[in-house]
Amino acid sequence: MSWGPFLLRRLAVAVPTLGALSALVFGATELLPGDAVSAIAGPSATEAERDAVRDRLGLDRDPVTRYLEWAGGALRGDLGTAYTGGRAVTELIGSRLPNSLLLAGLALLVTVPVSVTLGLLAGARAGRRSDRVVSTGVLLVAGLPEFVLATVLLWLMAAEADLLPQVSLVPLGGTPLGTPEILVLPVLTLAASGIAVGTRLVRSAGAEVAASPWVEAARLRGIAGTRLAVRHVLPGALAPATQAFGLVSGALVGGAIVVETVFGYPGIGLELQQAVAHRDVPLVQGIALVLCAITLATVLLADIAARALDPRRGSAR
Amino acid sequence: MRPAFSEGRSRDTSGLLTWCCAGVCLLVLAVAFLGPLLATGSPTEQVGPPFAAPGPGHPLGTDFLGRDVATRLLHGGWVVLALSVGATALATLLGAGAGVWLGLTAERGGEMVMRGVDLLAVFPSLLLLMLLATGAPDNDAAVLLAVGLASTPFSLRVVRAATRQVAGTGYVLTARARGDSWPAVVRYDVLPNIAGTVLADAGIRFVAAVHLTATAGFLGLGRGAPNANWGRMIRENLAGTALNPLPVLLPAALLAAFAVAVNLLADRVAGRMRHFDSARSDS
Repeated sequence: MSWGPFLLRRLAVAVPTLGALSALVFGATELLPGDAVSAIAGPSATEAERDAVRDRLGLDRDPVTRYLEWAGGALRGDLGTAYTGGRAVTELIGSRLPNSLLLAGLALLVTVPVSVTLGLLAGARAGRRSDRVVSTGVLLVAGLPEFVLATVLLWLMAAEADLLPQVSLVPLGGTPLGTPEILVLPVLTLAASGIAVGTRLVRSAGAEVAASPWVEAARLRGIAGTRLAVRHVLPGALAPATQAFGLVSGALVGGAIVVETVFGYPGIGLELQQAVAHRDVPLVQGIALVLCAITLATVLLADIAARALDPRRGSAR
Repeated sequence: MRPAFSEGRSRDTSGLLTWCCAGVCLLVLAVAFLGPLLATGSPTEQVGPPFAAPGPGHPLGTDFLGRDVATRLLHGGWVVLALSVGATALATLLGAGAGVWLGLTAERGGEMVMRGVDLLAVFPSLLLLMLLATGAPDNDAAVLLAVGLASTPFSLRVVRAATRQVAGTGYVLTARARGDSWPAVVRYDVLPNIAGTVLADAGIRFVAAVHLTATAGFLGLGRGAPNANWGRMIRENLAGTALNPLPVLLPAALLAAFAVAVNLLADRVAGRMRHFDSARSDS
């Protein structure tokens, strides 16, 4: 199959998936009986005030109509207005999203080389000492919730050693790159949990390839060590590992929300956390939809990258 | 193909590690569930100035509102662990029920449902948690439901795969041919064969559930102040680590020890089950 039909087929799955996820996003905030009205109007509001809030937010209409309106607006690039502050949701997201993408991109720059090196070290020698050390170490880090890791790093590096800033404040209108030291701890934490996931994926793909006939054949030809790992195991392991990495990207979105919250980093994850705390339903829904789209796009990109990296395509031509 | 694993040489040290992990788990469980019975004071009463260092009346110091850290520590664990256990049970019941059903029913419809399940698995679990918590603020049921539902698709996939393997074997076909009802087939032929897989999977789901539940507490989701919760204790007291780091470090240490130990244990159990299953399918 050439690239055209492959991309079309993937898009034909991804677009309806995003539609279904948007219904899930909208439905999830309505699923449980909560009282958004009294949360906004305040506990001491009179019945008339509560009615006014309900009327202003359009909560008296049925959920299906409201979903269709919301989804239609989203298609036109309009996600409604935030309850608090009264600014457009898309404007709020647009001002924070670049910061988050910068954080994620930097974390990925650390994660990928380290994961590939460690995973290959363990996978190409599955069962040996280096594998046991790497695998146990990775399992230890993977066991730690991100917020615990972030908190301990914060305490050690910022509060005790006073090496780095505790809160990742960005001056109004500036970018995090103006004060790069605020990026260190968030990137490190996010990369640590990414490495824990990525190393395991590369390791299991590598172990499978290392047990394959063609690697055995290379071994019999006298190829060993780094050359065997890089030239013979890595090409076969990279494609399945990349694809698997796309599938766990949802976990990394969660990690970014937590890391931004711990360090007060002004990204879309912190915005979401604050929106949840303020019960700002339109803002929560808008950010959740954008995060779903990002997750899906990551899965799609990983699929495309895995296909491009697959060595079998080269020999099949 | 069997993974190229040789665990023989390290069996003695890995056995020791397993026992250590089990010990740590039991210890944290004891603190969490016996704690509320052992604690003498009130977890919400002010006993000193904020972030006081350890001293008489407050052996581990005080938190950001001057409450006793030791008492709050003893009261704050059970809710995290109980919600994790509940969510794991929910995910396992839903996942095993739907997985067995989908594993035994026709191919085509099953494939369609699995596409939907894959879709749910892509949905970031923390996002589901935050959405449900926005709709139902201050509610632990939202946390339980979100954590359980987030794990269900993974559980379902594993159980369905295991069921399909069993469904293709001779004894299930024989049982159906002699007219056994589906419930009888499930009870006597399917469940005994997939029980190990289901339990090993539940272990892995429990690890994820502990993570997510603790994170919920940290983000202030679920039943709110003034109730003690290890996750939320860390967040509440972050500002005072220079004065008294204990209300941050102790709940973090307990959560970290438990999460890491459970993760290592679940990995061991899952590894055993894989060996057991592959040994059985080889014979």
